[in-house]
Amino acid sequence: MKHSLTLQIGPATFRIGSAWRAPIDQLADLYAGYPDRRGAIADFTVRLQPTNMLRRWVRPSIFITGDHGLADAAPMSLPHGLLAAEMGMNLQMALGWRRHLLLHASSVERDGRVLVMTGESGSGKSTLAALLGERGWRLMGDEFALLDLDKGAILPFPRLVSLKNQAIGVVQHVVGAQRMGPLLRATAKGDIRHLVPRPDVVARMAQGAMPALLLFPRFGHAAAIRPVGQGEAFMRLTQASTNYVALGEAGFVALTRFVTGVPACAIDFPSGEAAFEMIDRLWDEGV
Amino acid sequence: MDRIKRYRIDPRDACLTCALDDLTLLYHGRSGQTHMVISPVPEMLRAMQDGATLTVNDLWHRLAQSYDLGDRDDALAQIGAQLEALEALGLVRAA
Amino acid sequence: MSAALLVRVLRNPAAAEHLDAAQWNALIAAAKAERLIATLAWRVEGVRLPDHVQPILRDARMDAEREARQALWEADRAAAALAPIGVRLVVLKGTAYAAAGLLAGQGRFIGDLDILVPRSAMPQVERALMAAGWEWVKEDAYDDAYYRKWMHELPPMIHVERDQMIDVHHTILPLTARPKPDADALLADAVPAGENVWTLSPEDRVIHAAAHMLADGDLQGGLRNLWDIHCLLEHVDPVALDRRAARHGLRRHVAQAQRLAGALYGGGGALTLWDRIVRARLLARDGWGRETRKLLVFAFYLRSHWLRMPPLMLARHLWTKWRKGHRPR
Repeated sequence: MKHSLTLQIGPATFRIGSAWRAPIDQLADLYAGYPDRRGAIADFTVRLQPTNMLRRWVRPSIFITGDHGLADAAPMSLPHGLLAAEMGMNLQMALGWRRHLLLHASSVERDGRVLVMTGESGSGKSTLAALLGERGWRLMGDEFALLDLDKGAILPFPRLVSLKNQAIGVVQHVVGAQRMGPLLRATAKGDIRHLVPRPDVVARMAQGAMPALLLFPRFGHAAAIRPVGQGEAFMRLTQASTNYVALGEAGFVALTRFVTGVPACAIDFPSGEAAFEMIDRLWDEGV
Repeated sequence: MDRIKRYRIDPRDACLTCALDDLTLLYHGRSGQTHMVISPVPEMLRAMQDGATLTVNDLWHRLAQSYDLGDRDDALAQIGAQLEALEALGLVRAA
Repeated sequence: MSAALLVRVLRNPAAAEHLDAAQWNALIAAAKAERLIATLAWRVEGVRLPDHVQPILRDARMDAEREARQALWEADRAAAALAPIGVRLVVLKGTAYAAAGLLAGQGRFIGDLDILVPRSAMPQVERALMAAGWEWVKEDAYDDAYYRKWMHELPPMIHVERDQMIDVHHTILPLTARPKPDADALLADAVPAGENVWTLSPEDRVIHAAAHMLADGDLQGGLRNLWDIHCLLEHVDPVALDRRAARHGLRRHVAQAQRLAGALYGGGGALTLWDRIVRARLLARDGWGRETRKLLVFAFYLRSHWLRMPPLMLARHLWTKWRKGHRPR
């Protein structure tokens, strides 16, 4: 394709091709601190291509596809090209990654142990991970936590952190504007702005650690903590995994090892401060 | 004439099991499906593990050796219904 | 053209030793797009490969193995569903290759379960499957009427718990297509392939694959279909195949499939002008996995409908499809 770039995030390499220059330039800029993988053999190909020939120039409309694609994926406008590329990479991981059990979860590490947070979009898991990453924890990822199939460690997948709506201001207030990507207004999920992870996050992106606590956060409710049983945790994690079924027996073994070894809680929180207080308490009790 | 149905576990349908704190998980390799079950299903499958061909009544006898099954008719009805469900899932087969 | 590179490596796996990173990226993208990546993985086994390629191919093989296991389980379930009505389960395409342990099944991705049953048994089969948990995928009056009147299969059904599709065929080409295969003979000569599962005879497998590729479809996935044919041809005697193809009215298609398989995956062979056009369509895939030669691809899409039905019906069908926003991929 006319414009392209190869990126490595955690263990996965992506070759991203685009009919337009802008999304590739933005990626190159925001991923400048990541390893240079120019010319490498990639695990996945991502394509940002016009929905039809005309749409390359006239009201450009991006169709996101690649090795794996969704026939009914909604097209995106060119100003949202960065988001399209991120979604394209997520799509390849979600549908194609087989070397770890993929959990739709954020993860942060402290003292060699990992806190995994899973929940729907809007649960606050990305925002919490981003903020914890500025409070002494190592950010491992905001979208996918990779569970090692043999040993049970969590491996990082530290792509750009995708922040939505009010979370943008909250995080920017803490980290400053220089680590933030362009503001993407009025996407299908509202306003979106990306956060570039700290340099040590990228430097240590091959280092995993054992999970110590699983949380199901829920933003916007009065503070509450509820222990989650192993059966419920298992069921919710199978729903939060895009490749559990594809991994077959290996996925079953890894996930049962995880839920029998890692305590789980649901936490409701009205604010970041309330969440940090609960997380500190649970962490000190459980670890 | 009422033919009494017999069931057995085909060795190829053997499941990996994992007991959690509140239920038991079965992973069935041939279908790739994970089933969540509670008592008496894990106990029934364990009692059939040797591959023997059993009627509902036979299985009741096997289970009664290790468990207090309560009212016999209720237990037989329960075991019969569970076997039907397990057959539909392909975990046990009519023999 | 990276589809050409894919064909070259499938034909001669040793060629993979000399590829650079850019060629590997192109090869992998094309192989994934053509659903031949796990086949490629099998073919290059034993060839020295770059470190980063190995896990990609291992993943692909694992996916294909899982699909084969799943397909055989679906066959097992369908056999159980049909047992009470005494209908023998004859499986087609990928599931058949997996059940019979054929080379064509090695690394082959298998989507839906395709089965062949006598036309007279269709209503019973439909009821038996519904009793065992399959249901219609969509309630659409037009498609439904279209399927029942003109197609060689029931509208697709899906299992309510396992989420797997089944296509129930009573012959191997639409009733509107010009060749009229002898469905009774297909069923009569089916051969057992494991417990409760049957497949077409070796000759009929080739004929079905050729009919599916050249007399029915728009050549989407054609390289994979042709690879099937290339592998299946090893199990048949050419004279017996020709005689059998004549019986089904598919001699021309089978002969063309043999020429194309030989030219692309075998030792070469003379091609007609029409073969060359088909070959150009088959190789229309670039190093990013994109389809190229859009007009040619579109021409084959139109042709596939032309082959299935008379022109007036074709116009009506395309109009109805297009109003619903359907476009060739």
